[in-house]
Amino acid sequence: MPAILEVDNLVKKYGDFEAVGGVSFEVEQGEVFGLLGPNGAGKTQTISMLTGVIPPTAGTARIDGYDIRTQLDKVKKINGLVPQDLALYPTLSARANLNFFGRIYGLRGRELKERVEDVLRIVALTDRADQRVDKYSGGMKRRVNIAAGLIHHPKLFFLDEPTVGVDPQSRNHIFESVQRLNRERGMSIVYTSHYMEEVELLCNRVAIIDQGKIIAMDTIKNLISMLGGGVIYVGLPQVNDEVLAGLRDLPAVTEVSLVSQPATPPPAEDQEPEVIDRPPISPETLVKVVAKNSQQAIVNVINHLNQQNLNVTSLEILEPNLESVFLHLTGKKLRE
Amino acid sequence: MAALSIAYKDLLILFKNRGVILQLFVMPILFTALFSGALGSLGSSQQKDTRIPLAVVNLDGNESATRFINSLDAAGGVRVETYQQSQAQALLDESKIMRILTIPSGFTSNLASNQPTTLQIINHKNAAIQETEAVRLVVEGVAQEMTLESQILFSLQQMGDMQANAPAEFQQAFSPKVMQDQAKSQFESARSQELITVAQRIPTQQAQALSQAENNPTMEDVAVPGFTVLFVFLTAQTTALSIYTEKKIGSFRRLLAAPISKATMLAGKMLPNLITGILQVAVIFAFGVWGMQILGLKPVSLGNDILALALTLLLLVLCSTALGLVIAAVARTEGQIGGLSTLLLWGLGFLGGCFMPLFLLERFLKQIPMAVPHYWAKRALENLLVRGLGLGDIGLELAVLSGFTILFIAFGLWKFDFD
Repeated sequence: MPAILEVDNLVKKYGDFEAVGGVSFEVEQGEVFGLLGPNGAGKTQTISMLTGVIPPTAGTARIDGYDIRTQLDKVKKINGLVPQDLALYPTLSARANLNFFGRIYGLRGRELKERVEDVLRIVALTDRADQRVDKYSGGMKRRVNIAAGLIHHPKLFFLDEPTVGVDPQSRNHIFESVQRLNRERGMSIVYTSHYMEEVELLCNRVAIIDQGKIIAMDTIKNLISMLGGGVIYVGLPQVNDEVLAGLRDLPAVTEVSLVSQPATPPPAEDQEPEVIDRPPISPETLVKVVAKNSQQAIVNVINHLNQQNLNVTSLEILEPNLESVFLHLTGKKLRE
Repeated sequence: MAALSIAYKDLLILFKNRGVILQLFVMPILFTALFSGALGSLGSSQQKDTRIPLAVVNLDGNESATRFINSLDAAGGVRVETYQQSQAQALLDESKIMRILTIPSGFTSNLASNQPTTLQIINHKNAAIQETEAVRLVVEGVAQEMTLESQILFSLQQMGDMQANAPAEFQQAFSPKVMQDQAKSQFESARSQELITVAQRIPTQQAQALSQAENNPTMEDVAVPGFTVLFVFLTAQTTALSIYTEKKIGSFRRLLAAPISKATMLAGKMLPNLITGILQVAVIFAFGVWGMQILGLKPVSLGNDILALALTLLLLVLCSTALGLVIAAVARTEGQIGGLSTLLLWGLGFLGGCFMPLFLLERFLKQIPMAVPHYWAKRALENLLVRGLGLGDIGLELAVLSGFTILFIAFGLWKFDFD
C-alpha cells in the first residue's frame, strides 16, 4: 500500500521550548494509525502542523503526495480534522453546524444537503439533527464533532482525542464509526489518544510519543512483545549489585534494572499534571524485572528475596499491553 | 463565499443572543430617548419656531420698505423682528441677537426711480455660519424678486408715458412685439444689474464654528450623533468576543484547517459587525426621525447631504469593526476583552464627546478629544445633521476617521495571534 502520509523530521518550537522534536513516520492508505502519548507529549501539535493549523518550525510532510509547506491548499481539502475541543457552535443545531462547515469546504445546494444527511447517519444523529448542540449530551456533541470533520469526505482523517469526557456507550459508538469509516470507505485515519485500550482496539500501527519525540513505532503486537511475558516492579528497603545479579539469574527473568526515584516534573501552567509517579513506587528502592512468564517469574523473585532476608515493601505485576510498554519505555504512566 | 458563510453563521448566532440585541438596538434607542426627552428642556421645545430670527431696522419707513419686510417674513426661513436702530445695536452688543438687517432711508424712492440701493446685514462675531448664509440667501432672494418687479413696473411706466406722448404716426412703434421685447430686456437687465444689493459683515470662520453649536444646542441634536457614535463603537466588543469565542471553543482551529485563507477568515469575522453596525445605525436614525416624533420630541434632521451622511456612517461602522480587531488581537481572555472594551469604548466615547456637545467638551479638554476617532465621527455627524453642511465640508473628519480605520486594521493584523 502506498503511503498517504509521510512525515519527515517535523519540528515545532516556541522560543526555546521544543513541543515537537523531529518526528518522522508514515501512514499507509487505508491504515488506522495511532499516536499514543500523555497530555503535552506533542500529539496535538503534530496533528496541527499536518492539518495546516500551525506552521512547522522545521521539517515537512507529504499528504497524498502534496507538501504541507508548499501545497497546503490541496492538503487541506484532503484532510479532515476532529479537534480535541468540541469545535461546534453550541447555540446552533447540529444540522446548522454541519451546513456551515460544509459551506466552508465549498459544498452547496443538493450536494451539501446529501453530505449532511450522510454524516448524520454515520454518527446516528439524524433524528435529533435539528436540536441545539448545547442541549446534547457530551457523547452526542462528540459525535457531531466527528461528523463536522467528515462533511467533505476527507481521504485522511485526523481524530485528536475524540473520546475525552465521553460516556462508555458513546465511546463505543465512536469506535464503531471509526471502524466503519475505515472498513467500508477505506478512509485512512490518524487517531491520537492517551487511552491505551482505544489505540489497541482501533489501530494497526502505533507511534508512542513522549516529550515531542517518537520513542517507539510498530504494530501493537510487536510493541507488546518487547515486554515478553510482563513486567514486575518490586519495592525493597535496600538493594545492591549482588541482589540484582541474583535476580537476573532466575529462571523466567530476562532483564533486571534498578529504577531511580522519579523526579516528577511540575505541571505546566494551565495544564493538568500529565505524568504521575511510578505505579509500584516504594519509599526506598524500586527494581524492575522483565519476565518471559510473569507468573513463574514472580514466584522465583519472591523466593529469592526471602532467601536473601529482604523484605518486599511493594509489588506490582504489569500484564503485557501498551500501557506497560509505555511505562517500560518512559518510566511513566498516564493519568486515566 | 467562505467569508459570507462565516458572516452568515455569526449573524445567526448573534441574533439568537437576546443580550446582544438589547445592547445593539434597544440601548441606543433608550439612551437617545432618555437624553432627548428628559433633558430636552435644556435645549429646544417641541413647539419651537425654527425660523432664524432676524432683527430689521427700517430707516426708510415707506411703502417699498414695508413691502420688503413683509415679503421677507413670508418667505420662510427667517422670522423678522423690527427694532429701532439704537435698540437693535444694543441687543447685538449684548449678544441677544445675532444679526441686523438695515433698510436704508430712500429705499422706496430709489426703487421708484430705478436707482440702486444697498441693504446692510451686520452679523455678530458668534453668529452661526450656516444661519448667516441662510439669512443672506433669503434676503437676496426677496431683493431679487423686488428688483425684477420694480424694473418691470418702471419699464412699463416708461413705455406708457412714451406711448401717451408720442405723435400718431409713431403709435405703431408700440406694437405687442415691441412690448414683449422690452419686457425681456428688462428681465435681462434685472439679472445683470441688481437694483437692490446686499452687503454684510461676516465674522471669522473660527468664531462662527465655535459659536454655532452654542447658539442652538438642542439635546436631540447632541443625542443622536453622540449615541450613534457611542453605540456603533460598542459593537467593536461584539467582534472581539466573537473571535475570542471561536478560539475558545476550538472552531477557530477547524477553520484554520479548512481550505480558506486567513484573510477570508478575518473578513468573515468582521463582516457581521459591519452588517449589524449598519442595521444599528438604521434603527437609531429611524427612531430619531419617526420615533422621536411619536414621543413628542423634535425629530432628527438628516441634514442636506444624504450621501455624505451614508458615507460617514459607513466609515464609522468600518472604524468600529477595525477597533474590534484590535481588541481581539490584544486581549487574551474574556475578562480582558470586557475590561478593555469598557475602557476603550466608553472611555473614548466620553473623550470623543458622545455625551455632550463638542464645544462644551473642547472647553474642558482642549485638544485631547481630537486623539480619539469618536470625536471625528461625531464632528462629521454634527456638521451634517446639526449644521446642515455637505460632503465638501467634512473632508478632514472623514480623512481622519479613515486614518484611524487603517491604523486599527494594520495594528490588529500585526498583533493578531492565529495559533
